Parts: sequence; structure tokens; C-alpha cells
Amino acid sequence: MTQEQTNLLQGTLDLLILKTLRLGEMHGLGISRRIEQITHGTFSVKTGSLFPALRRMQEEGWIKSAWGESEANRKAKYYRLTKAGMKQLETETAKWERIVLGISRTLEAS
Amino acid sequence: MSKRVRSGLLQRATSLLRNVTHREQDEREIAEEVNAHLSLLIAEKMRAGMKPDEAERAAHMELGGVEQVKEQVREARAGAWLDTLARDCRFALRMSRKNSGFTAVVVLILALGIAANTTVLSWISATLLNPIPGVAHTSDLVTVMRGDRSDHPTPPFSYLDLHDLSELTQTFSGLLGYHDDYMSLTGVAKPERIYGALTTANYFDLLGVHPILGRAFLPEEGTPGAGAAVVVIGYAVWQNHFAGDPQIVGKTIQINRHPYTVVGVAPRDFTGCAPGLRAELWIALSMDRDVWGFNRPDYRGIFWLNVLGKLRPGVTKNQAQAELNLLMQGIVERFPEDHRDSPSEISLDPLWRSPFGINGYLYKILPMLLGLAGVLLLLACANVASLLLVRSVGRRREIAIRLGMGASRKQIVRQFLIESLLLGLLGGTAAIVITKWTSHSLVAFFPPSTLPLTNDAHIDQGVLFVTIGVSILAAIIFGMLPALRSSSLPVQSVLKEEATSVSLTLHKSRLLSGLVVAQISLSLVLLVCAGLFTRSLQKAQQSDPGFEASHLLLASYELSPAGYTRATGAAFDRQVLDRLSALPGVESVSLADFSPLSFSIHSDYLQLEGYVPQPHESMEISRAIVGPNYFRTLRTSVVSGREFTEGDTADSQLVAVVNQAFVDRYWPGENAIGKQVTDGGDRFTVVGVARNAKYRLLTSPTEPVIYLPSYQAYSPTHDTTIHLRTTGDPRTMASSVEETIHQLNPELPLFNVNPLSVTMQLGTLFGRVAATFAGSFGLLAMLLAAVGIYGVVAYTTRQRTREIGIRMALGAEKGGVYRLVLGQGFRLTLAGLLVGTALSLTLTRLLKAQLFGVSATDAITFASVGLLVAVVALLACHIPARRATRVDPMVALRHE
Repeated sequence: MTQEQTNLLQGTLDLLILKTLRLGEMHGLGISRRIEQITHGTFSVKTGSLFPALRRMQEEGWIKSAWGESEANRKAKYYRLTKAGMKQLETETAKWERIVLGISRTLEAS
Repeated sequence: MSKRVRSGLLQRATSLLRNVTHREQDEREIAEEVNAHLSLLIAEKMRAGMKPDEAERAAHMELGGVEQVKEQVREARAGAWLDTLARDCRFALRMSRKNSGFTAVVVLILALGIAANTTVLSWISATLLNPIPGVAHTSDLVTVMRGDRSDHPTPPFSYLDLHDLSELTQTFSGLLGYHDDYMSLTGVAKPERIYGALTTANYFDLLGVHPILGRAFLPEEGTPGAGAAVVVIGYAVWQNHFAGDPQIVGKTIQINRHPYTVVGVAPRDFTGCAPGLRAELWIALSMDRDVWGFNRPDYRGIFWLNVLGKLRPGVTKNQAQAELNLLMQGIVERFPEDHRDSPSEISLDPLWRSPFGINGYLYKILPMLLGLAGVLLLLACANVASLLLVRSVGRRREIAIRLGMGASRKQIVRQFLIESLLLGLLGGTAAIVITKWTSHSLVAFFPPSTLPLTNDAHIDQGVLFVTIGVSILAAIIFGMLPALRSSSLPVQSVLKEEATSVSLTLHKSRLLSGLVVAQISLSLVLLVCAGLFTRSLQKAQQSDPGFEASHLLLASYELSPAGYTRATGAAFDRQVLDRLSALPGVESVSLADFSPLSFSIHSDYLQLEGYVPQPHESMEISRAIVGPNYFRTLRTSVVSGREFTEGDTADSQLVAVVNQAFVDRYWPGENAIGKQVTDGGDRFTVVGVARNAKYRLLTSPTEPVIYLPSYQAYSPTHDTTIHLRTTGDPRTMASSVEETIHQLNPELPLFNVNPLSVTMQLGTLFGRVAATFAGSFGLLAMLLAAVGIYGVVAYTTRQRTREIGIRMALGAEKGGVYRLVLGQGFRLTLAGLLVGTALSLTLTRLLKAQLFGVSATDAITFASVGLLVAVVALLACHIPARRATRVDPMVALRHE
């Protein structure tokens, strides 16, 4: 793991998980590795943050889970996006873009 | 609410429900998932080339503890707060069981404080808030009254006036009229005098009361002259006299010896619409001639109906009042003869302060009692808060350890508040048990009387909800201070203190002192109020009513239902007086159509020679019909002229006696003897002036009264009340009086056979209620304040044991130590007395209108109550002070 791990901004973890699951269903470890891979290790998701987040998102109805078999024939819980989750992803993305725009404008101005 | 948010809420609610109901399955799932994740991790590490044990260690490192992850998931799940709450509650329960003595004391204190409030509330609910039992919605009902508000209103409308107003009004959806009076249920095994009402035909429909059997009156049954002899009977009459006969509708019963067909049975709760008075029979007012022998509906000038109106939706009371005044003015202008001397101004009142019935009195005293109960509860809260604060010192280590282990300040406050809530709710529950008894206590104040007083106070739903609310509020008040104070402990220093006895921090002891001062001052306020009410009651009871109440026996009968006419009735009365005066032990005897101080005196509209009424002045004046020797029997002196004798009969000149207040008001400075008074067409000549006597309330100012002789102004329709002055105890005469009257007529029921000293208790009813309850609140308050100051002084003294030990070792006298401790108590007491006196001076001004013969700042009351509180508080401090003098310096110092 690199030295430049960044603390996840509050709320961005949901966005990352939703975006990851958009590609297809995945188990917890898969999600966590996928995020590390895409962000080149900038973000590493700790198990203690990942599972509570998954739990919460399930209860919000954005994702669903089911037991399945992993690549190596091991038992694993797989998560997939629901319709409400797709909508949430759109909302969160739009929100994120607004934040980024706002922050970069501020940075440019000063 | 947008659809999206709603579905989100629904989603969370379902999750919450599932989490609660599938707890075990959920736990298994979490465990399985974490384990599965762990084995995936291990597999991954092994694929990367690690040895199995190495891979397992690395996987555990990355996971960061199976249990911690599980706990974090649990905290994320919906309803996690429920788990925390349950845990806090379990802990609170364990703590309260562990300190069961402390818990019991606190719950008792709270229960008494809350019960005082719920008791008064249950009365308010049963009277002011539900003025007509059996009618749920009374907010659009108003009473219609003419003239100034008075303590003793008389019915304000004639039937024809009411009829015209009903036809013309646009602001009311209906006006109903009723006349309450006693009737006799005859033709049954045991004839009974029953309070009932003559009503307009729309009475039940307008109130929205539906008979449980049969029907209410039909419109045509109310038309005077065309009415039918039909009756709606009350539930109690139906049960007691007709054994709940399901076939009662259509049967004939007898009222005042006339046959009536039962058309309906009223619901169980319904007792008519004069609050606090229990009516049990309803007859259409068109039957007036049958019941009373006269035809009042035909006369525009006879005002005998109380009126209730139902406002149309959207109409305000003021609009309706303005409209009725305008209409009434028109009626008065068209029929000036019938409305001469009667007030025309109309006022509307909501039923909670209806001038008819008991609410006209209760609406003044009940809110006041609730205020006093509120003060008592505040005091109880201060008391419990100081107890909790003292106890929280003993829990410093527990709290410090919890803070040290990483509990947040919020968690500690929550824990404390939950413990307080538990105490509050336990107190509230106990209060409800107490209130089950005390809510009935109002009835205990009603003396035997001719009025059918009723009060059905009980714990209804509203009272229950308020009790729960008050318990929670109280818990927050008394729990907040100790909670905030304890959660801000300096952890380090507390843990380091170990077993050394730390005295209170200055700040905390100041807080405790403040709470003690608050308790003493609040108890002073309550005791001052109690003292004022008690002295006011004493003044009323000691005041000269203008007659001598001792050794007087009363007994009443009613002749008209028994079939007597004007002539036979007068003859019967004369026989009764003759026989009774011959009885041994009887000093003198007379009769009257009322008895003093029992709200039974009547009034008439009079015209007085040489007096011109002011515009709108009501010439409705109290009028007593009395027999010969009335003034001698009552020992009310006649100051000039003469009193009535056997010679004042229907054949002689019509005569009258007036009281001094009458002369002062209408003929000031003139000689009243010989003046003429016109009452209902008859002209009476004044032959005597009597001393003032109080007939309504001991506390109301004396008012003009005119007395007319019974043989001249006789009417068999009024109750006749025998007044018997005895040489011995009046009670012992009761049976011989009954025997004597039954020798003359074995069938005639006698009622209300009681000494006057008993029945006149009604005249001080509200004063007694106020004094008794304010008094018990005051005593309770003093007890609480004493416990409060004792607890705090004893506690701080214990904390100072070491200091006292050193002082004594250095040669301090026992007296000095005693003064040291007592001095602390004395300073607190003094501060409490000062604050309390200032508070009382501001608050007692509100009681002014309810006091009789004492000022709201009565120096004697303030001084004696202050002294009492000071003595009790110092006595409470005496115990710890004595204990301090017995401290053995050696033990105190070795203790460390």
C-alpha cells in the first residue's frame, strides 16, 4: 500500500461503492480491491468501514445481497445495485461534480 | 412529502422491523459474512505465496479484529439506538434495584408531587373541560344570560322571548331552554323526589344526546297548549325504579301524580346541562301546568328558563352576543310592560364558566389549586435534584471510569437521564394509583343539601396522558442538573483521589445550596397561600351571619305534588307549626321557603315606592317567604317595626319586612315603615326592618332582602322548610318532628332533616376546598423542604468530618462546632425565607378575589408562616449539628 493513502471524505465511500457495483455484482473483498485498483491505491477501504457501509446501503434499499460461490469455490456474499441504487448513483455523482466544480473554482480564484 | 422520501422512509422502517424481529438470524448472517470475508482474504494471501499461518496472521491484521467489525456493522444497522436504549434501561433498572431505599424515597416524593397535580386535573377535566357529561363537544355551546354576572344567577328568559329569539337568530343553529326543579315520582313502591327539567323540544337534539332506548322529544311535543304528556327518564331512574325494564318505552309512569308516557331513556352519563347538578327526568316545558299547576310558557313577563345556544360554524361569541342584544332590544321595545325592571344586556359564556351550576364557582378556584400543585411539584423536583446530586458524588468513580474507558459525555448524560426518566415514570405510576382515591375527594366536601350536587371526577384518558407528560417533564427538570454536572468530571483527578474523602467542589455545593434555598422559598409560598386561605375560611366561619345557627333543626316537605292547594296547604302548614311548638324541647318554630346558606333563596322583580331604577338596573331582589315568628326563631333582630304574626293572613292587609341593606340601597335616610312594594301585582306595606343576614355565601356582601308572610304570599309549589329552635341537641329532635308531621299526613315525604349548622356548610364549600388542599400542599411542602435541608447539611457535615476533627483536636468547643454546622443551615434558611417572602408577595396578589377578611399581604400570616418554616428548618439542621459535636477527633483523623 502506498504512503499517499487519503482519508475518505465523508460520504464518498457510498459513491465509490455504488460506482464499483455498476459494473456488476461483487463480494466485499472484490469491492475493496477494485477501489484500490482503480484509485491506484489512493483509497484503501478498511473492512471496518466497508461492511457497515454495505449494511447501511442495503437498508436504504440501494443494493441487494445474496450468497454465492467465489472464483475459488468459496462461500461469499455478493452485492448488486438496485433500481433505487442506480438513481442514488446519479444523484451522488451530480452532487460530487458540483462540489468538485465549486472547490476548483475557489482554488482558481485565489 | 415527495414520493421518493416516502419510499425511503418506508424502506428504513421495514429494515428496522426486520432487524428487531430477526435479531438472531441477523447475528448469524453478520458472523458468517465476516468469516467468509476472512477466508477470502486468507486465500488471497496464499495465492500471493504466503504460508498458511503467515497468511492467516496477515488476513487478521488487515481485517482488524472480527468482533470489532461485527460491532461496527451492528452500529450501522437501522434501530441501533434501540439496542443502546435497551442497554441503558437495563442498567438503570439494575441501579434502582441496587439502591432500593433511595429509589423508594424519590418515587414517593415524586408520586406525591405529581398526584397533587393529577388530582386537581381530574377535577378540572370532570368539570371545566367536560361541563356536560355525556356530551363530547361543548366548544360551540354557550350559555345565554341577561344582566351582570352574579354569584347567584336566576333564570333569565321567558318562553315567549326565547321562542322569538330562536326564530330570528342567524348566528345560532339553535337555542334550547330548560328549567331545573324537583319533581316527585309517584305511583311507585317508594315515591321519590327527583331533580328534573322542563325543556324545549329541541333539548336533546341540540345537545347531540341520543336516548339509549326510545326517542327524544318531537317538535310538536314542545308546543305550549298542544304538548303531550311524555317523559324521557334518566338511566338511574330507569335502573332504580323500573329495574332496567327493556320494555319501559310506551309505559305510563306518574310524575307529581299525573300520568306520563315514557318515550325514551337517556344515556347513563347524561345528567342535564347545568354543570355539577344532577337532573334525572326531562319533560317538555309545554306540560308546565301539569307539573306545577301554572302556565309559565304563556307569560312573556315570567323569566324562568336557562338558555343554551349552539353557535353556527364560523360565528364568534362576540358576533352572536351583538346579534342577540339587538334582537332582545327589539323584543323589549315591542313589549315594554313585560320587561320593565329587568336587565336587557345579554352576555354569552362558554360552559366552563357557565353561570348555572357549579362551574361558576369552580372556574375560579380550580386553576388556582392547579397553580399551587404546580409549585409543589417544582419543589419536589428541586428536592429530588438535590438528592440525586448528593448521590452522584458517590458515583464519581464509576463515572470517571466510564469516561476513561472512552464513553462520551453524551452517553453519560443519556444514562443519567434514562435513570431519571425511570424514576419519573415510576413516580407517575404511583401518582395514578394515589389519584384513583383522591380524585373522588371533592365529593366528600359536599354537605347534605337540597341541591343535587354531583361530581364524577376520575382518571380519564386526558388526565392519564398529562400525567405521563408531567412525569417525563419532571424527570428532565430534576435529572438535567445532576446529569450535566456529573458528565463534566475531571477524570484524571477523580481517579487519582482514590479513597481520600474529597469535599464537594465549591461549584457543586453552591448548586446544592441553591436547590435548598429554592425548596425553602417554594414551601414558604405554599404555606403562605394555605395560611391565607385558612384564615379567610376562619374569618368567614366566625363572621356574624345575622342569625344564630346552633340549636336549629331543619326539615323540608313539598305540598303541591302531594295534592295540596293554596288553601289546604296553608292550613296544613298552620297545623304543623301548632303541633311542633307544643313538643317538649322546642323553644320556637317557624317555616320558610328557603334555608340560609344553601343556595335556595328565591328572588322576584319588585317595584318600590319612591325609587326610580337606573337605566338597565335590575330590580330582581332576593325574596323570602317566611312564617310567623321567623325572626324570633332565627334570632335575627327586628330593628324597627314588627315581625310577622299569626294575624298576618290572606284576609288582612298585605305586609312585608325588609332588611337594613334594602333600606340603605333603595330608601337611604328615609323611614321604610309604611312604604309600598309591588310584587307580581300585589302591593305589600312595609311593617318592619330586620338586621342584615347572609343567605347565599358567608363571604359575599350583604344584599337587600324582602320578607313576605307565608299566609299571604303562600304558594304550595315551593318547598316548605321547617325551622325549629331546640333547647338541646337539634339532632335528637329529628324523629319526633318526623312523627308529628306523619301524624298529620302519613304519605308526605320529609327530606333534608338536618341541623342548620350542617346544611350551611354548603355556604363555605369552596373556601373549605381551597383551605384543605392548599393546607395539605403546604404541609407536604414543608416536610419536603425539611428533608431537603437536612439531607444537604448532613451530607456537607459528613464531608467535613476531618476538618471538624482537626478543629476539635486543636481545642474547639463543642458549642463552636454546633454553631458552625447550624450556621450553615441558618444561612440557607434565611436566604430561602427572603426569596420566599418576595415570591409570596408577588403571587398572593392573584388570590385577592378569593380571600375574605384578610389582606393578600396579611402580616400575621406571613410572620407566623415564616417563623414556622424557620423553626422546622433549624430543627432539621439540629440533627447533623448534634452529630458533629460527637465526632471523636482520633477516629476522624485516623479515618484518612
